[in-house]
Amino acid sequence: MTLEEQVRSNRIRSGMLLLSFGLVFVAIGAAVQALYGGASLIIIAGIAFAYAIFSWFANGRMIASWTGARLVTKDEYPDLVRAVENAAIGAGLAQPPQVRVVDDPSPNAFAAGGSPKTAYIAATTGLLAMMNKRELEAVIAHEVGHVRNRDVRLMSLAAVLVGVVALVADLALRFAFFGGGRRRGGNPILMIIGLAMLILAPIAAFGIQMSLSRKREYLADESSAEITGDPEGLAMALQKLQLDTTELRHANRATAHLYIETPLNNTSGPRAALSGLFDTHPSLEARIESLEKMGGFKLPAPAGQ
Amino acid sequence: MLAVYVIAGVIVLIAVWTVLIFNHLVRLGNEAKRGWSNIDVQLKRRTDLIPNLVEAVKGYAAHERQVFDEVTAARTAMQQASGPAQAGEANKQASAAIGHLFAVSEAYPQLRASENFQKLQEELTDTEDKIAAARRYYNQTVYQYNSRLQSFPDLIVAKLGGFHEREFFALDSPAEAQLPNVDFSAGATP
Repeated sequence: MTLEEQVRSNRIRSGMLLLSFGLVFVAIGAAVQALYGGASLIIIAGIAFAYAIFSWFANGRMIASWTGARLVTKDEYPDLVRAVENAAIGAGLAQPPQVRVVDDPSPNAFAAGGSPKTAYIAATTGLLAMMNKRELEAVIAHEVGHVRNRDVRLMSLAAVLVGVVALVADLALRFAFFGGGRRRGGNPILMIIGLAMLILAPIAAFGIQMSLSRKREYLADESSAEITGDPEGLAMALQKLQLDTTELRHANRATAHLYIETPLNNTSGPRAALSGLFDTHPSLEARIESLEKMGGFKLPAPAGQ
Repeated sequence: MLAVYVIAGVIVLIAVWTVLIFNHLVRLGNEAKRGWSNIDVQLKRRTDLIPNLVEAVKGYAAHERQVFDEVTAARTAMQQASGPAQAGEANKQASAAIGHLFAVSEAYPQLRASENFQKLQEELTDTEDKIAAARRYYNQTVYQYNSRLQSFPDLIVAKLGGFHEREFFALDSPAEAQLPNVDFSAGATP
């Protein structure tokens, strides 16, 4: 897939994403209507519509406040800002994205926002502490790759929409159990369907979210190699991330797919068995392997294994 | 009558096709131009920094004549270079000369401790990194652009529209060897 095709397909998918979330919201609205009656459907659909428009423009700022990513200057973080500038030049962007930092010891990075003009790159302080110059540049080039490929708007929209579907469905469910339905004597079958829909809505939202990100990570890895000319640097960085087990403090399910590495660690325990199904990212091993194939090199096995 | 319609249809199709190709070539050409201006900005920044560096080092190591001359000559070559290919050569010369200057400065601890020198060193490393990044992007675009100009049917539109191939910038670095452009440009020049 060429860059142009990727850009076009991302634009179409952004529209489809808004549409599918519209449908999920109509389902939630219908469910609430069945449970409580009144004008619930119209009210919820109206709120959802307003939210969708709002999130189209403000998703970047919303995600920044959820994740605690603050804008930084070149004087505070010269190496990071330079890495972003260099990657932007290498990617042929007209101007470098803004730079944000998250105060968190867990190493990770993400890109969010809309068009390349409004997008930003965020890195955690843990990432800056852990990576050397070469590795940091490779990681940042991966994020700049997301910006250039126009992945960021799609992924940011998915984050803010998944977040709100989960929230609304959760609220409605709580209300159904604890607030007590106002409308006694409604059709019981309808009410059961309504409850089922409220439970299924967030799952559907997560499904849509997962369908977006896995292939995109491989593509952004490829872009990083193209921008820096150094697939080995990225492979080394990913290996460091693989060995790290600290969990991101502000991570939640809605923003998980934005990060370069999944911020929710589930490398052991019962969740590991299911991880293939519910992961937002391909495994780091698989990504390192495909970088090795691309660059024709082989990383030595990490120390301590 | 039918034949007229068919011929008219074919002519319209060819015209539309030509316009599409023309626009595509213009766009690629503009990308390459933008890529070149990215390099140019950094080359200028580099030539501006060199005199400051020489001054800073002279303050502590005035007798290292030879390396100063080398750096100054490289800077003059950078200023006089016209076109990407020449600028690439001059830039390589400058990189080597600046490398020598930094190697010489290793022997002067006071110089290395000075804030001004450290700042200059950082800036120059940064320009070098940025030139490297800009070069990769520029050469990729030039590769795409030139190969379109050489392939049928774009070649006809290119001839009629007065498109010309662009020069690569500093091609023969190890990183560039991974790209297929090297053979391509060498084999295509008549």
